[in-house]
Amino acid sequence: MQNSPNKGVFPWLTALLVAAVLLSACLGAIDIHIREIAGAAGKLFYNGSDYTLHERVFLEIRLPRVLFCLFAGAALAVGGVLLQALFRNPIIEPGLIGTSSGAAFGAALYFVAGATFHFHAGVWMLPLAACAGAMLATFMVLGLSGSRENGKTGIVTLLLMGIAVNALFLSGTGFLSYIARDPQARSITFWNLGTLSGANWESVVITAIVVTLCCWRAMACAARLNLLMLGEEEAQLSGVGVKRLKMEVMVINVIMIAVVTAFTGVISFVGLVVPHLLRIWKGADNRYLVAAGALTGAILLTAADIAARLLLRPAELPIGIVTSLAGVPVFIFLLKKKKYYF
Amino acid sequence: MRNKYLLPAMLLLTCSCGRFGNKDQHAGSKRIVCLAKQYNEVIYALGAEKDLVAVDLSSTYPPAIKALPTVGYHRALSAEGIISQEPTLVVHDNNVGPEQVMQQLEKMKIPMKTFADSVFTIEQDKGMIRELGRYFGRERQADSLCRILDAQMSEALANGKRYTDTPHVVIIHFGRAMNIYLAVTEKSTAAKMVAWAGGVIPIGGNKGMQQVSAELIAQADPDVILLTDFGYDRLGSIGKIKELPGVAGTKAARDNRIYRVEEHDLIYLGPRTGANVLTLQKLIHAKQSE
Repeated sequence: MQNSPNKGVFPWLTALLVAAVLLSACLGAIDIHIREIAGAAGKLFYNGSDYTLHERVFLEIRLPRVLFCLFAGAALAVGGVLLQALFRNPIIEPGLIGTSSGAAFGAALYFVAGATFHFHAGVWMLPLAACAGAMLATFMVLGLSGSRENGKTGIVTLLLMGIAVNALFLSGTGFLSYIARDPQARSITFWNLGTLSGANWESVVITAIVVTLCCWRAMACAARLNLLMLGEEEAQLSGVGVKRLKMEVMVINVIMIAVVTAFTGVISFVGLVVPHLLRIWKGADNRYLVAAGALTGAILLTAADIAARLLLRPAELPIGIVTSLAGVPVFIFLLKKKKYYF
Repeated sequence: MRNKYLLPAMLLLTCSCGRFGNKDQHAGSKRIVCLAKQYNEVIYALGAEKDLVAVDLSSTYPPAIKALPTVGYHRALSAEGIISQEPTLVVHDNNVGPEQVMQQLEKMKIPMKTFADSVFTIEQDKGMIRELGRYFGRERQADSLCRILDAQMSEALANGKRYTDTPHVVIIHFGRAMNIYLAVTEKSTAAKMVAWAGGVIPIGGNKGMQQVSAELIAQADPDVILLTDFGYDRLGSIGKIKELPGVAGTKAARDNRIYRVEEHDLIYLGPRTGANVLTLQKLIHAKQSE
């Protein structure tokens, strides 16, 4: 990003991220004072064992949630950036190529089949089922659109297959909701609304590794995506292996979004709104969009999580409701503008 | 995907119901958060509610419970919300979620307790009341509640022997959407209560409640239709209910035997089950009593 006109963006985003993280660490159903956070960190560092309740809440529940939220927000936003660049279409988000609907189907299948067959395979079964569903749906989209055009993955075909496969998996989830017993149906519904309340250290470690690696690969693809935005033939002439690039971006996207969705449920609009906001701010260079998208996604999802925890406290709103409520007006505003900044 | 839209709407409605704004006014050292509506009713009936500091959103009986802070819907809880009430005990009936929240509470060493969680018969009902009575040191009150329950159930069963018919009763729980009704099936707690009252539910199915078409309601041709409060109040008058597709033309509509019932009286067994069965009996056998 050297000599980039977007350099001034990053100090702002970093400052906002730090503020969001601090607020998120302190605010919630339980307000945790900064002194308690420092106390908890100190005891952790010096192997202390006499933790107060608030210190334990911070270390066991709040901190993993805050960190998980950062990686989840980054993943959702970077996923949006990658897909919008790949499809050369500003209205695309990861949900459109089957990832979210596949994950929702996998989770619903677990809720219904697990309870019907008294099938218990530990806490990892739900994320695994959601992840498998997301991968199945996305690779179905890829496989079906590849065979249509003599092995080439055409963008339009990919998009249409995404719509078809999405419909298939949404119908599957609908069917499972219909045959589910009341508690199962409600579990499916709440999972579809998204929540970060289940974050723990295991999920943080897994998500951190996956999202960091995927974002690193996404950065490596960003310059080639810039060339792809000029057109496939132009990109090919510039030495970009278009087919390989498309496959790489899709694989990065599906792995990243599937892992995050598996732990959170469906969270909409972050992947759609963040790239738009950033394009309006400083343009459509994908190298800038990937890096700034990761930071902005983390900030926005953290802000949404704070709202989800505070609006009805001590109860909690599903975060998917907050992101949709905030995202829809922003999205309509962006659509109403004549210029799409793409 | 009905619930996908229903639940957010429900959440928004509950935001405006005022229960989320309730303040904690408890001063004692014991602090109980109870996440089961069934237990909450018993706790109030025993007079043991003084240490109750927060409940879940589905606990709506008795009306006084609505003044307590709520920690959210019992299947969509958050660990922090519960811990923020500084509970010395969390009571639940194993019908709570998400799963990871209970694990977080266990990890935080929050004391939790479950009482009888399979209550489908009067004996199990009395067992639950006595168990709660013992825990709260209210054995005498629990015995008294059980005696009243026994007396009312005996009265209802004795009444049943006098009736010569077995009315077919359809219970519509949730109004309607595009001529689809959410109806109570023969597998439900309400069906048991109707049976004790001397009636029968003619709607089959594997779940306690099931979506059924207007045609099925018409085919069942019930003698009595009970609408739970939400659907009844929304429709507003018996005249409008009688015009509903499937309902119009049934014996119940022709004979004006459509009644309003409180939803929470039919969905679990508790200390008022005997009284509720007697009320049901009066409704479904109103013709013989006339």
